[in-house]
Amino acid sequence: MALPHTNTAQVAFDALYRSTVSDVFAYVMSVVRDRGAAEDVTAAVFERAYRKRSGYDARRGSERAWVFGIARNAALDELRRRARTAALVVEPDDPSAAGAFEEADTADRRATVRAALAGLDPRDRELIALKFHAGLSNVEIAALLGISEANAGTRIHRAITKLRETCS
Amino acid sequence: MTRRTHTDDPLDPMIAAELAELERALAGDMSLPAVDPVLAGLVREVRAEAPRLDDTFRASLDARVEAGFPRGGAASWLARVLPSGALFRPAIAVAATALLGLAVTTAVLTSGDDRPVSGLAVESREDGSAGSATAVAPDTALTAPQAAEAAPDASAPSRGAAPVPGTDQLDAGPAAKAVVPPAAPDPGRLGGARRVERSAEMTLSTSPDEVQAVADDVVRTVQGLGGVVASSRVATVDGGGEAYFDLRLPTARLDRAIAQLSKLAHVSALAQGSDDITGAFVSATDRLKDARDERAALLKALGRATTDRQVASLRARIADSRRRIARAEAELRQLRVRTDRATVALTIRGDGASRGGSDEDEGGTWTPGDALRDALRVLEVAAGVAVIAVAALVPLAFLALLALLATRAARRRGRERALDAA
Repeated sequence: MALPHTNTAQVAFDALYRSTVSDVFAYVMSVVRDRGAAEDVTAAVFERAYRKRSGYDARRGSERAWVFGIARNAALDELRRRARTAALVVEPDDPSAAGAFEEADTADRRATVRAALAGLDPRDRELIALKFHAGLSNVEIAALLGISEANAGTRIHRAITKLRETCS
Repeated sequence: MTRRTHTDDPLDPMIAAELAELERALAGDMSLPAVDPVLAGLVREVRAEAPRLDDTFRASLDARVEAGFPRGGAASWLARVLPSGALFRPAIAVAATALLGLAVTTAVLTSGDDRPVSGLAVESREDGSAGSATAVAPDTALTAPQAAEAAPDASAPSRGAAPVPGTDQLDAGPAAKAVVPPAAPDPGRLGGARRVERSAEMTLSTSPDEVQAVADDVVRTVQGLGGVVASSRVATVDGGGEAYFDLRLPTARLDRAIAQLSKLAHVSALAQGSDDITGAFVSATDRLKDARDERAALLKALGRATTDRQVASLRARIADSRRRIARAEAELRQLRVRTDRATVALTIRGDGASRGGSDEDEGGTWTPGDALRDALRVLEVAAGVAVIAVAALVPLAFLALLALLATRAARRRGRERALDAA
């Protein structure tokens, strides 16, 4: 038996939420760099997506890209709000979160990557997050940033190169 | 701030190859061509560094998603009462448009009270000593009392120079467009003895079987007022009829005559005219006086004449003077007749309703034709209001669009700046 329309929409949104929530949080966290703020923004992103789900147009991109578009706007709005109220306080990395049981070599390697990510330009860090955490294609990233696909590819390549250079 | 470009320049082949390798590493595809182990390790380590959701927060968010993000308090009440999202903005736009349309309509209707009635045709002529005016009412739906009030007693002083009382009531009618003739020029040196020639054209509508009866009433009314029927023609056929009257009425009783004739049937048209012929009258009077003075002088000269030749010459001139006197007197009589007797061209048409009138306001039946006319009129007014509303809304909508675009652009710039500053 087919589900009622509202239940169908609810189920579809639930699936979208479960497939993206971790990646959205990772992306937002990469942008705002504050766990509390990232949690608030992530919750706001999905609430906004839930309220606006009837306005989603499949012709303009995938649902995943649509959610990350909302996430980007919400994250940047959070940055604006915090810029107006106080200087951005970057949450210090928690060394214990890196995994106390990891091999020393692995831990060193991950600390290097973490430091390299932290030292990236905010725009490059955002690109890394969109590519590595969000898993968006270059076309979707280009649409999200309002640039051409070639430009997006060039920027991603530049960010990866910086990251590799810093880590090496 | 990042420069936004939308060019479709081709990607550098080397960069494209490295991006393709990155895509394979992200997809976990390690097949040939082999992915650079360093890049694969970097992908693995960056992903491992992805911030993880706190379990407590995740559970809380899961619960909110399952509950459909319930609102609380006033926000919840508003969400239930007001339509949300995409539906709400059009609703506001429609409400604003309706309010603006209402305001425009009110302004149009209230300002229209002081305007002259459209369709009015007034012709006036002034040449120093004489003037004329014609007022036309193409479809004057006057009731008899209104017509009576619009036609005061003709003996009122300065009739041609002052508006006739009751004009407001004429204009207040649904289709009344009768206008009192404008004032004739001030006679000035003519000593205030104005001579005005008046005329009227009137069309009465009645039912086809009442044309003859109305025609009989017209004759009786005219005779009762001391007027005469100069000519008439009454033609009645099955299903219709028409009668024409050329009436001569005492000018002093013209207004009363129009009032009484208006009571006989529905007045479908009424036009009144006046022509100030004071100048022509004074000229004729002066010519007569000059001719008489000349004849008196000639008669005196004739008494003093001593030769036959002088007598013959004076007699010829006296005869000539007598003819001029006769012509001036005839002209003066003709002018007196024109001012003493008003001309009324009356038409009775047997194509309307009964004597009670055809309009619902006058107690008659409201025909489908009336309904159609009313409907067309309503549509005309509605279309006019719509045009005015659109004319007012288009610039406002354009400004609103500009403001919206500017706001969005400013917000976008602000977000990009915030990212740069982070």
